[in-house]
Amino acid sequence: MTLDLSIITDNAGLFAQGAVATVYISVAAIISGLLIAFPVALLRLSPRRVMSWPAVAYVELFRNIPFIVMLSLFFYGLPFFGLRLQPMTTGIVALALFGSAYFAEIVRGAILSVPRGQMESARAIGMSYLRALREIIFPQMLRFFIPAATNTSISLVKESAVLATLSVAELTYQGLIVQGQTFAPFEVFLATATIYWGLTALLAAGFRTSERRLGGQAQRGFSSRHRLAARYLSLEPEPRS
Amino acid sequence: MTAPPVLSVRGLRKSFGAMTAVAGVDLDVEAGEIVCIIGPSGCGKSTFLRCINYLERPDEGTVRIAGDYIGREPAAAGGTRLQSARQLDRMRPRVGLVFQQFHLWPHLSALENVARAPIRLRGVDRSEAEAQARALLARFGLAAKAGRMPADLSGGEKQRVAIARALAMKPELMLFDEPTSALDPEVVGDVLRLMKELAEEGMTMVVVTHELGFARKVADRIVFFDAGRIAEMGPPDELIDRPRSERLRLFLSHFQ
Ligand SMILES: Nc1ncnc2c1ncn2[C@@H]1O[C@H](COP(=O)(O)OP(=O)(O)O)[C@@H](O)[C@H]1O
Ligand SMILES: [Mg+2]
Repeated sequence: MTLDLSIITDNAGLFAQGAVATVYISVAAIISGLLIAFPVALLRLSPRRVMSWPAVAYVELFRNIPFIVMLSLFFYGLPFFGLRLQPMTTGIVALALFGSAYFAEIVRGAILSVPRGQMESARAIGMSYLRALREIIFPQMLRFFIPAATNTSISLVKESAVLATLSVAELTYQGLIVQGQTFAPFEVFLATATIYWGLTALLAAGFRTSERRLGGQAQRGFSSRHRLAARYLSLEPEPRS
Repeated sequence: MTAPPVLSVRGLRKSFGAMTAVAGVDLDVEAGEIVCIIGPSGCGKSTFLRCINYLERPDEGTVRIAGDYIGREPAAAGGTRLQSARQLDRMRPRVGLVFQQFHLWPHLSALENVARAPIRLRGVDRSEAEAQARALLARFGLAAKAGRMPADLSGGEKQRVAIARALAMKPELMLFDEPTSALDPEVVGDVLRLMKELAEEGMTMVVVTHELGFARKVADRIVFFDAGRIAEMGPPDELIDRPRSERLRLFLSHFQ
């Protein structure tokens, strides 16, 4: 058996469209997921049960269903509530919510990784809770947050393939189309896999850059052993779905 | 009319579950007065200090700083009500708190640790705040360390930066929670000397400490805490040399 690379070059346009759609879906879901995650994490950290309980429920709800099931529920369920969204939009919303549950847990863990005395010394001097979070806690939590958030973001890029089940023309769907036309599954999925690999590698590089930009200064205060431990802890694969 | 006490605590109580940490404390501290709190570990000294600026919310009682309520104030309808977060945040800088473990902000330089709060909370110009911070650090023998990160400072230096950080907000009252307990013995003297200077300049201070030598020399009054209460209180000589209770005698015997 030989590889017929013309199958890929002849359909480069479709692969490119698919890759662009996958990037668009992933970036939108990651950004919205992160934006949702912060308030959810802060609620979950509240000492008041009325505040923390809904956040716990939210996280557990979205973390404990396979994404493909959640996406189907959204796609077939939302119209019952009068919400008719494009498959692409449904997919982005579902992926963002799915990711936000994992991101929220990461934010919570990252905040808790900062010693309690940091918040206390900030509050004692008169900073508001939000200012103390922004100026004192966030810069110190990045070294935990960024590696873990990178992993989750990479998982979301991979999960976005599930949108193919709604015929959203993202990378996996385009691959299936090309396969249907060419009957050359090996070449097609080799190309698809390579593009996913490239996209996730780019994403990881992006996070590393942001880590240097945002956290470079913050990290000067910490020992390298501590940083190594943080990296090691972030290796746990998630999300699982 | 005389000025109200800088610190006035009435009926302060705080429990953690079934455990009563502070069991009804009244204390007035006049301007310029130095009060040292001594007592066995776990008797509620830290909780008492942390209740003064509401890092820990007391279950009952009121705290006033120079006459102004902090945390909880009398309600028009009678009784008391909690202040809003904004009210509390405005009151807190009037009380400086120095922790046993310093709690410097590790991502900010020594200078920024001191200058940050005046810039953000008092609206002081950065250049002016930095000049003030440099002056404070220089006074504490840290002129050369202003640009250092906390991780690159020794324990004694960290604690001096932490004191400078609190002073930068120009508090009316300084609270110290065992400020030298985490320090190597050879630098304890540096920090105590600095606190003594502050006292001599007229700062009002409440100091939880196990340094009886310091308490004897610097304190106007010593408070002996036991089981969340003020068990004994008086001038240093009286309290240390002629303890009235058996508990205090026993406690002091550990320092011989
Ligand atoms: N956040 C907390 N939760 C539960 N118990 C606490 C807490 N803080 C203090 N305590 C308890 O309250 C008591 C008084 O503690 P503390 O004020 O730290 O004493 P001290 O400073 O005199 O050693 C101790 O029994 C301690 O275990
Ligand atoms: Mg204590």
